[in-house]
Amino acid sequence: MIDGRRFVGELALIARAAENGRTELLAPRPGYFRAAPQEGALFAPGMVLGELEVLGARFRLIVPAGAQGAVVALPEGRRIARRAVQHGERLVTLDPAAVVGASASAAEQRGAAGAGLAFRAPMSGRYYAKPGPDAEPFVKVGDVIETGRTIALLEVMKTFNRVQYGGASVPERAKIVAIVPKDGDDVNGGDPILALEPA
Amino acid sequence: MSPGPIFRRLFVANRGEVAVRIARACDALGITPVFGVSEADLEAPYLAGRERVVLGPGRAALSYLDMTRVVQAAKQSRCSALHPGWGFLSENPTFAALCEQHGITFVGPPARAMALMGRKTPAKDAMRSAGLTLIPGSDGVLRDSDAALEAAERTGYPVLFKAESGGGGRGMRIARSGDEVKSAFDDARAEATAAFGDPRVYMEKLLEGGRHVEIQLMADRYGDVIHVGERDCTVQRNHQKLIEESPSPVLSESERARTLAAAVHATRSIGYVGAGTMEFLMDEQGTLRFMEMNTRLQVEHPVSEMRSGLDLMREMILVAAGHRLSVEQEQVTLRGHAIECRINAEDPNEGFRPSPGAITRFVPPTGEGVRVDTHVASGYVVPPFYDSLIAKLIVHGRDRNEAIERAIGALESFVVEGVKTTIPMHLAVLRSSEFRDSRYDTRRIPGWPTSR
Repeated sequence: MIDGRRFVGELALIARAAENGRTELLAPRPGYFRAAPQEGALFAPGMVLGELEVLGARFRLIVPAGAQGAVVALPEGRRIARRAVQHGERLVTLDPAAVVGASASAAEQRGAAGAGLAFRAPMSGRYYAKPGPDAEPFVKVGDVIETGRTIALLEVMKTFNRVQYGGASVPERAKIVAIVPKDGDDVNGGDPILALEPA
Repeated sequence: MSPGPIFRRLFVANRGEVAVRIARACDALGITPVFGVSEADLEAPYLAGRERVVLGPGRAALSYLDMTRVVQAAKQSRCSALHPGWGFLSENPTFAALCEQHGITFVGPPARAMALMGRKTPAKDAMRSAGLTLIPGSDGVLRDSDAALEAAERTGYPVLFKAESGGGGRGMRIARSGDEVKSAFDDARAEATAAFGDPRVYMEKLLEGGRHVEIQLMADRYGDVIHVGERDCTVQRNHQKLIEESPSPVLSESERARTLAAAVHATRSIGYVGAGTMEFLMDEQGTLRFMEMNTRLQVEHPVSEMRSGLDLMREMILVAAGHRLSVEQEQVTLRGHAIECRINAEDPNEGFRPSPGAITRFVPPTGEGVRVDTHVASGYVVPPFYDSLIAKLIVHGRDRNEAIERAIGALESFVVEGVKTTIPMHLAVLRSSEFRDSRYDTRRIPGWPTSR
């Protein structure tokens, strides 16, 4: 039984695999869903995605392992501050393919990765240039890349996330001028990963 | 036809046959029922077109038994009342209190009356002072095995040690002589601790070869109490009732009148509200001795409905909404004889092993004096998570023989394919001379050899 009006606990969301590598996150019990995220917000395992109010007590909803990406499909209906949901009801869908950098402004990008364009880390984590220790790196300096191309892996809270090229502030096609982090480096969200020129 | 102010929306905190029964009463009263359901019950036919809130996964501990989920679901579906049915949380005073705390009327007795009856010694004290006969035994909880021995010697063997917070046959041990007392007491204590988190144990004389008789009661908030006669539930297996009937074929008129009056008085004296049942053990002299009170409506309530013409579920909801009882004791007329057979998805030829799975065909019987309460239809899949009751057959006749004949006819035309059921056992029992002559007790099923 839950007690205490000001008690804030944590509850793990239920993850359900959907098509195209997407993950649906479901309510773990009946309650009022509050502080719902906006379309496009990025989430990784361990992050807080809204709150569930149960008998007056508030619980932070935690993204479970293996679920990450940007919020792509909010449920139908009016956005209200406090929505009654039942066990297993879909709260959001996360799309890992939509996790792309390029949230920073063009001016910042020019400053960060030298003179040209930059593709930036979508979230903080450990950067891996290769799919495995003995494998070839995903990309090399001089490669021409297009939207959707996998650039690297980011290890976030013990899960590996594919980082895909694309986004509003980078061109559809570009040539890699430089790769900023080294294999195994820790990067922060927004750090430049690739220095680019249009191709 | 609504009798005045009443709940608009009522939360059904249960599943299966009782959920259907509650919803039927709601429909008749113009109340919208909202069902709390587990994922395992989502596809059940009785939920088609009904409002529902998914509580959690199939395991009852994470759905029907999780108080927080249930009360939150009732709250967010804007229900002003909640009916617990039977089983699950129906006799949990904490749950009743939690409902009230969140502004939801619990359709049942006040939490304090429930808590009093849930603890065996205070319950027995209250009943003794109201004039009911008890089973002889210890004066309350036993301190240690020396006290147990002293009480057993005074009462006379065999004796039964029972858990103060017990139920369902757990935390019970028999001692047939002085040298068995210590180990029986210690074992009962250990089992009570493990099962109920309460090591307290008391002792009763073990009355073997008794019959199980119970009295249906109904009380409103204004101190009015009625009884709806007795039910005889002697045909049991491991404390699980199989056949219930009313009136009891072996109860004397004087003992019936004495106990009914005392039960009504006792119910009033504890400030009880709603439907309740007092259970008695009938000893070999024909005396009814109080065992416990179930603070809820029971599975076998239709037996009393068939004889009285009352709708006990409806009455219970109205009483919870603050209405007076719709009848006085003088207006309750008990007619004829009623029998209920519990149809379980079990194989009686294999030691009543559960038989979950898909019911490929389900055709219940119809006819004069025949009622079937069920949540099942053809194609229904019996989930493995819950109890095995799939239907109840209730028949009514002018006398016991007519009721038995009607029950046999109904059971013969009752089609259940795909799972094993208790129907063959019921037929064997009803056809047996032991059952017809009432020559049986709670230890064995009449007409059904235990060796099967």
